[in-house]
Amino acid sequence: MTEIPAVSEPHSDAGHASVATYVKVALILTGVTALEIGVISIRFLTPIVVPLLLAMSAAKFALVVLFFMHLRYDSRVLSGLFIGPLVIAMVIVLALMSLIGAFVTFGR
Amino acid sequence: MMATHEVALGHHAREQAGVGSGVWSWITTVDHKRIGILYGVSAFVFFLVGGIEALIMRMQLARPDSHVVGADTFNALFTMHGTTMVFLAIMPFSAAFLNYMVPLMIGARDVAFPRLNALSYWIFLAGAIFLNASFFVGAPPNAGWFGYANLTTKQFSPGANTDFWLLSLQVLGASSVLAGVNFIVTILNLRAPGMTLMRMPVFVWMALVVQFLIVLAFPPITVGLIFLMFDRFFGTHFYDVTAGADLLLWQHLFWIFGHPEVYILILPAFGIVSEVLPTFARKPLFGAPVVIYSGVLIGFFGFGVWSHHMFAVGMGPVADAAFSIVTMLIAIPTGVKIFNWLATLWGGAIRPTTALHFAVGLIAMFTIGGLSGVMHASPPVDLQQTDTYFVVAHFHYVLIGGSLFGLFAGAYYWWPKITGRLLNERLGRVQFWILLIGFNATFFPQHYLGAIGMPRRIYTYPAGMGWDFWNLVSTIGAFGIALSVFLFAVNAIWSLRAGAMASADPWDGRTLEWRTSSPPPVHNFDDIPLVLGRDTYWREKYGRRAASASTEGGSGGRGGGAAGAQTEAYFAAGRPPTSPPAAAHAIHLPAPSYWPIIAAIGIGVAAAGALLHVAIVIAGALVTVVSLFAFALEHHRNPAHVHQDGTLGIDHRKVAMWTFLGSECMFFGTLIATYLAYRGRSVVGPHPHEILNIPVTSASTFDLLMSSLLMVLALAAVQRGDRGQARLWLFGTALFGLIFLGFQAYEFTSFIHEGLTLRTNLFGSTFFVLTGFHGAHVSLGVAWLVTLLVLDLRGRLGRADAVKVEIAGLYWHFVDIVWIAIFTLVYLIP
Repeated sequence: MTEIPAVSEPHSDAGHASVATYVKVALILTGVTALEIGVISIRFLTPIVVPLLLAMSAAKFALVVLFFMHLRYDSRVLSGLFIGPLVIAMVIVLALMSLIGAFVTFGR
Repeated sequence: MMATHEVALGHHAREQAGVGSGVWSWITTVDHKRIGILYGVSAFVFFLVGGIEALIMRMQLARPDSHVVGADTFNALFTMHGTTMVFLAIMPFSAAFLNYMVPLMIGARDVAFPRLNALSYWIFLAGAIFLNASFFVGAPPNAGWFGYANLTTKQFSPGANTDFWLLSLQVLGASSVLAGVNFIVTILNLRAPGMTLMRMPVFVWMALVVQFLIVLAFPPITVGLIFLMFDRFFGTHFYDVTAGADLLLWQHLFWIFGHPEVYILILPAFGIVSEVLPTFARKPLFGAPVVIYSGVLIGFFGFGVWSHHMFAVGMGPVADAAFSIVTMLIAIPTGVKIFNWLATLWGGAIRPTTALHFAVGLIAMFTIGGLSGVMHASPPVDLQQTDTYFVVAHFHYVLIGGSLFGLFAGAYYWWPKITGRLLNERLGRVQFWILLIGFNATFFPQHYLGAIGMPRRIYTYPAGMGWDFWNLVSTIGAFGIALSVFLFAVNAIWSLRAGAMASADPWDGRTLEWRTSSPPPVHNFDDIPLVLGRDTYWREKYGRRAASASTEGGSGGRGGGAAGAQTEAYFAAGRPPTSPPAAAHAIHLPAPSYWPIIAAIGIGVAAAGALLHVAIVIAGALVTVVSLFAFALEHHRNPAHVHQDGTLGIDHRKVAMWTFLGSECMFFGTLIATYLAYRGRSVVGPHPHEILNIPVTSASTFDLLMSSLLMVLALAAVQRGDRGQARLWLFGTALFGLIFLGFQAYEFTSFIHEGLTLRTNLFGSTFFVLTGFHGAHVSLGVAWLVTLLVLDLRGRLGRADAVKVEIAGLYWHFVDIVWIAIFTLVYLIP
C-alpha cells in the first residue's frame, strides 16, 4: 500500500439553489397539497377534478425534481437519464392500462 | 479516477491488487478482466447444461410415440432449457465480453464500480446455482420459461418448481440491473480523453444500449414476479380471475420485459460483428453512425412491440394494428445494419478467419430469422403460427443464428487478447461449418413442421402425422450442433495448452484493446491513450489517411476538441498518442474484496429460506444487510474515493444514482399501472372509498414533503461544512421518515381491523403491495440517513463527503415524488 493522494477541495455548489429558494419551494408544495385536498371537496369542480389533481401532482413532482433534486442546475445528461425512462414508464403505464381495459378507448 | 480502494502499482502490484493465481484471488477479485472470464466460464458451463436439456428433448422427439422421457420431465426440460439459455448462457456470455472488453475499448483501467461488478457476478452465480438446485430436490421449474399465469398459480403448480423459478429470476434480475447501472456509468464517464460518444466503438455503443434496456426492462418482470410470489406465498389475487384479476396482466408484464430481452441478447452480437467485419475486411465499418443510430432505434422500438407476442389472446383491432405497425417498423433499422455490414465487406481486403466466418454466418442466419419475424408482425399470419414449431424455428434463427454465431465470432476474435494464445483456425473453420450445417438441419425443418401444424411443447406425437422424418432430421442436426460445441471446447483446451502465442495485435485491429499486451496487464494500459477517432488504433498505426473520414466520429464534446488537438500534436511530433505519462506510483488499482461474495451468499440463503423456513430467510437477509453495510463502508475513509468525476465531469455515484432512479421509475410505474388497471375490479369489499382516510394521509404526505426540505438543508449544511446544522437536518429528515412510517403502520393496522388485508380482495392486494414497497423504500432511506448521521457523529462526514449526502438525498427525494404520485392517484382521484 502506498501513499494516497491528498484530498482535494470539494466542488463548488454555487449552481444549486439557496436555502431561501428551498423554503419557498416547500411552502409552494404545502400550498398545492392543501389545494389538492380542497378541490376534491368542491362540488362544482367535480367534472374537472381529475385533470386538476393530475396537473397539481405533476407540478409538485416537477418542483421536487427541479429544485430539491437539483436537476434544474445539473448536467443535461442527468436529466436525460431520468426523464427518458420516466417518459417510457408513463407511456407503458398508459398502454398497459389501456390493454388491461382500464380505459374504454382500447377496450377489448 | 476509479471508485475503488486504490493500490499503487509497484514491484508487488499484482500481489497488492489481489492478482495472484490462487482460488482466493478469484473469489475476491474485482478486476473487470477476471470477472469477464468468470462470466465466460460460468456461461459455458450453463450453456452445456442447457444444451444437454435440448438434446434430451430432441431425442424424445426424434421418433413418434417415444418414451425417452415422460411428459412431466419434458415440461421441466423445455422450461429449464429456455430459462438457462436466456439467463444463464447467452446473457452472461455477452456479459463476459462486456466486462473484459468495454473498459479496454474505452481506454479505462476498470469499470466505474469494480466491487459492484464483482457483486453482480456473484449474485448471478447464486441465482444460477439456486435455479439448477431445483433438479437436485426433484422440483425443476416446469411451467415454461414464459411462466404464463395461471399455469404458475398454486392450484396448477402446487410444488416448489415455480418457486425456484420465480425466486431465481428475481435474484438474476438484481444482478443484471446492478451490472447495467455500472456499465452505463462506465461507458458514459470513464472514456479516455478524446473519446466522444460518436468515437466509441460500435460494440461499446451496443453495450450501452443493452444496459439501458436491462435497467428499464427488468423492473416490469420484477414486478410481475413479485405479484406471482405474493400470490403463491401470501394468497394475494394478482392473477386470480375469480377475484376480478386479468391473466393477461402477467403476459403484458412478461413481454414488456421479454421483447427488449431479445435485443439484450442480440445487440451485443451485432456489436461484435461490427468490430470483426472491419478488422477482417480491412475497411472502416460502412456508415458506422447509421449502424449506431439503428442500434439505438432498435432498443427504443423494442419497448413498443411487446404485444406482438400476444396477438392470439384477442387484444382487439386497434391494439393489434398498433403493435403490428411498430413491429414492422423495427425491421427497418435491423435491415439497415444488414446492408451496412454487407457494404463493409464489399471491396474489402477479406481475410477469411474463423471469426469472420461466424460474423458472416450471423448476417445470413439472422436475416432468415428476421424475415420470419416480419411474418409474425402480421396478426392474421401470426395467429396461424402461434404455438407451432414455426415460432421455435424463428427464435432459434434469431438467438442461435444471431446471438450465438456473434458470440462465437467474438470468442475467436478476442480469445488471443484474453488468453495470450491463438485458437486453431483450421479447427475453428471446421467447427463453423459443422455448426452452420447442424443448426440449419435442426431448425430449418421446424418451419415446415410448424406450418403443417406441429404444436410447440408437446412431449410426443403419434405416427402418421407427417412429422416423423423432419423431426428425425432435426434431432440429427442437434447432435451436429453438439459436435460443433465439443470442437470449440477441444480447440479452447488445445489453445490453452499448446496454442501459438499471440502478439498484442494479432489481427491488425482497429480499436484500443489491441493497443495493449495479450493478455493485458492488470492496469490495462501503461498510459491512458488519447483517442483520435472511432478506429483510433488503426489510425495510430497507419496515420490519418488510412482512416476514412467516416471513422472520425466528430470532434466536439468534452474532451474531444482539446484532446484531439493534443493527439494531433503528438502525431506531428512522431510520438504515440497517450495522456501525459503517469509515474508508476500514480497508477491505482482496485483492491480485492470478499464482501461481494458474502452478500451474494446471503441473497442465495434468503432465497433458499423462502422454500424452507422463515428463520433461514431472516438469517440470509441479515448476512446480506451486514455485508452490504460493510461493502458500502469498506473504503469510506479512503481519500482516493472522495472525488470520482469522470468524462462527463460528474461524479460516478451521481450518474449511477440517476440511472438507478430511471430504473425505479419503471418499477413504480408498473406497480401504479397495476393498481389503476385493477381499480374497481374487486368483487368483494371493502372498496377504496369506504376505507381510505384522506385526512390522515394528507398529514403523512405533508410530513414526507417537509422531510425533503430538511434533506436539502442537510446537504447545504454539509456542503458549507456546518456540522451542527448537518446533524440537525439529517436527524430531522430521518425522524420525519420514521413519522411517515408510523403513519403507514397506523393506516395498515386500521385497515386490517376494518377487514382489509392482502388477501381480502384485489384492492387489498394492489394497495398493500404498492404502498408497502413504497414504505420499504422509505425504510431503506431512513437506514441510509441514520448511517450518514452515525458517520457524522463520529466525525467522519466532512465537506468532502457531500456527494454521499447528495446521492442519499436524491434517493430520498425520489421516494417523495413517488408518494406525490401515489397520494393523487390512489387517495385523491375519486
